[in-house]
Amino acid sequence: MAIPNSLPPPTFDIDTWTNNYEGALVPFRFAHVALRCPSLAHQSLSLALTAAHNGRDIGLYRKLCELAGNLGLSDLSTPDGQWMTRQEEENKRELARLEGELRGYKNNLIRESIRMGQEDLATHHLSTGGPVVDPAHSIPAASTGYHAAYGAYSKMREYCTTPAHIASLTLNLIYTSFIQAVSAQQLGFAPNSHFSTANLLCGRVRNAGVKEEEQRRLTPIALASSGIAYLGLGQYQDAANSFVKVPFEYHTLGQVQGTDFSKTVASGNDVAIYGGLCALATFTRQQLIDEVLGGDFRQFLELEPHMRKAISLYTTAKYQACLAILRHYYSDWSLDIFLGALNVGSGQPHLDRLLSRVREKSITAYFSSFAEVSLASLASTFPPTSSHPTAMEDEVLSMIESGMLEARLDVVNGILIAPSKKSRATTHAEAKNAAEEIERTLLLRLHKVNTILAGCEIVRAKNSGWETGTAGNGF
Amino acid sequence: MADVLATLKSFPTDTKANLSPKVYNVKARNYLDALSKISSSAWTQRVGKQSLLDTLDPAVHSIAYMHALLQHISVAGKDKGRLEALLACAVTFFSSFDPVQIRYASEEWGKLLTWLFDGVSKVEDADFGILSTAMLRLDPTGGTFTSYHLRLVRLCLEAGQPSQALPVLNKNIYAFPQNLAKITSEEILCEENDLSNWFITPRSGFTTSLSAEQILEYYLLGAQVYIGQRNWSRARLFLEFVLLTPSPGHVPSALQVEAYKKWILIGLLDIGRVYPLPKTIDPFAVKSIKTIAKSYECLGEDFDKRDWKKYQAELDIGTQIWVEDGNLTLAKEAGDAILRYRVIDLQKTFAALPVSRVAYNLDLPRDHTRQLLTTMISEGHLHASLNENPKDSADPVLRFNYDPPVSSTPEEQDEELKNQTKRVEELVMFIRDADRRLQLSKEYVESQRRIKRSFAGPDGDLADQMDLTWDAPAAPLTEDGDEEDIMAL
Repeated sequence: MAIPNSLPPPTFDIDTWTNNYEGALVPFRFAHVALRCPSLAHQSLSLALTAAHNGRDIGLYRKLCELAGNLGLSDLSTPDGQWMTRQEEENKRELARLEGELRGYKNNLIRESIRMGQEDLATHHLSTGGPVVDPAHSIPAASTGYHAAYGAYSKMREYCTTPAHIASLTLNLIYTSFIQAVSAQQLGFAPNSHFSTANLLCGRVRNAGVKEEEQRRLTPIALASSGIAYLGLGQYQDAANSFVKVPFEYHTLGQVQGTDFSKTVASGNDVAIYGGLCALATFTRQQLIDEVLGGDFRQFLELEPHMRKAISLYTTAKYQACLAILRHYYSDWSLDIFLGALNVGSGQPHLDRLLSRVREKSITAYFSSFAEVSLASLASTFPPTSSHPTAMEDEVLSMIESGMLEARLDVVNGILIAPSKKSRATTHAEAKNAAEEIERTLLLRLHKVNTILAGCEIVRAKNSGWETGTAGNGF
Repeated sequence: MADVLATLKSFPTDTKANLSPKVYNVKARNYLDALSKISSSAWTQRVGKQSLLDTLDPAVHSIAYMHALLQHISVAGKDKGRLEALLACAVTFFSSFDPVQIRYASEEWGKLLTWLFDGVSKVEDADFGILSTAMLRLDPTGGTFTSYHLRLVRLCLEAGQPSQALPVLNKNIYAFPQNLAKITSEEILCEENDLSNWFITPRSGFTTSLSAEQILEYYLLGAQVYIGQRNWSRARLFLEFVLLTPSPGHVPSALQVEAYKKWILIGLLDIGRVYPLPKTIDPFAVKSIKTIAKSYECLGEDFDKRDWKKYQAELDIGTQIWVEDGNLTLAKEAGDAILRYRVIDLQKTFAALPVSRVAYNLDLPRDHTRQLLTTMISEGHLHASLNENPKDSADPVLRFNYDPPVSSTPEEQDEELKNQTKRVEELVMFIRDADRRLQLSKEYVESQRRIKRSFAGPDGDLADQMDLTWDAPAAPLTEDGDEEDIMAL
């Protein structure tokens, strides 16, 4: 299944939306919007091109121009060749200068200088998109593109002297991993390894060993990033658990170790939506009440009141209204670079998977209070997502088959029937099965012990085969 | 002649029940000595008008009766009439002998049973019941494997009367005969014990010594009997016995491959998929077995996917294989079962559905499906009914019943569980005994010694070492004992 690319325009204004973000991910965000929403394609791509033009990454600029060409926006598809040549030379010069400086520092053996030299080099790689893949020169793939930036950051580690240095380094690595992941996603590769790396690094940031007040600034970032990584990996339950623990300071953190994660990666509003959706899709009703609505995460939800409303509607069993809200914002959320990304395993965007889970959960919860429900009434409460005549039936059947819904379908009368529970008989049958299984296992073990004791193990026949062995036993 | 009769009747004495096992033992041995002194011709002479066989009661004077019978047989030669009369005597004897006395005359008993086996196998449509009666009379638990076990199963299968072997097959084997260590031999044979393996040993003559092939063959043939009886759980157990027989060189026996093939097929029939492999199975041996039985694995895979068309196609292609293995009928039966399990699978999702829909799911014509469903319902494989469809009279509705007919009352179920518990408890007793025997084995002692040595060695954990010396101070167990002592001090 391909990504749906005909979304209706979102409820937000793309210009205001732009102000929420900065950093290397911005052009990617615009490209994502352009790909998914045709009505905004022109506007967002021109914004993307402007952003790329202001930066130093010519590779990215070229790709955006190609994308414009593919989308049929001919006025944007001609690259600014002059700027590209000039910028390319400037980048090369800068790279040579930084490498030269780094060599100098290495000769002087001053660790702090080397560390800073490495950092400058890494930052340069990150902003220019790293060395280009060049078939003529056999540069290994690991040292091209954003991999080069990641590699350069990693080299800093041996020159770090304080935990704070390590923390800053790790944050940079997380950021780079996210950029790698997003760039892989947009090129159609699997981002999983990058998200896993990011997740691993988040664990380190949470135990950075720095002073307490400094750690208090790191933890929110670690938790939020870890949540995003889990989301990217499709592990929604873990993602939800991470997000709901993010302290609200995240929203007002500002710059930490040089980058402001709430601008470069995900804003407080994003965290509210990611966390809210993941929790809605995976938490039980009680968990939602205690941990999401009643916990610290509520402050985040105040940033996105409709998310809060959706959750409270779910907890009060008003599934229809809850789903209606979620559907209303479907377009907005699909344009988010993390939520709208394709889940590699299922071939569906994360948002679609999350929403269908919420829907399934709602149906299950709704059905739990009935013994019988007709498909027609089910369809009126939960309008089917597709217009196919058997859409509701198919959905219910797939839920039964996947084990989410414990029910059986009467196709003739169109009724969903809850199985009658006969606990006594089932328990009896289970006990009997268990006992029989134990008896069988015991007998098998006894047999094994006995054979060994009696020296009756199977030995390799010396001559022709087992026939001779059995023929000679005197019967 | 009268004094001979007196000697013969001198044991057991009337006060048998009052005798302590020790005294009984002594008396029995003396009696055997006395018997050995009687000349062989005396056995066949007549006492008054009657022969010894008529005078002696096989239930009371079992040993003497058996001796007399054996002598008569050796004298009878090939006289058909007499042999038939003697066969009748043997039947009487084997259905009434005193099992405790017989423990003292195991060799003769074995000879007589072998003779009976030979005799019965020559008779057309013979009743083999006496053979299992004889075996179970000697050892009511039937828990010790003997060479007669295998012989009986073979005989019954050859004669085409497999169910005759069931009394013996139904008893679980708790031990294989082995010659016990010297210390425990020469026990008081008449003593009562829950386990029979202490008097049934190759040395006693109640069995010959056994090889792995015989055990494998017994279980494989037994499984065949149960397959014929449609007793899947028992057949599965027997086949798993075969599969689990250890092979130190990881070289599977051809019999194990046979068993594996059948095991796959009956799994399909019994639970609708291949049984899970027992956990304690030897992974290396299984690997080689699987390679050989690849074609069966394929059938299993098709079945798991409920892909009856592919199954059928593979069944046709491989006919040669199934015929050669003698598994064609089973494989065909499993082929029919796929459709059955597909319908049963539908039961998990649907409460009722039109037959046309079932047909669509099965990928079969509607009429065929209808017929199939009718058969399944009437054979009791499916708890369902076919009803009139209000919307389309040509397309009846299959409605599953979720309340299977109550087969037993709660009390019966309780009873069943209690019996099951009892069986497991009994089993535990036998396992304890196996454990005990294991501890008496040379290998166990050897490995224990090695463990001790490794603790005492320089690599051993110091704490463990100290604990050991506290338990057994200054008791050098091994050659390294001195070193251990020094360390302890």
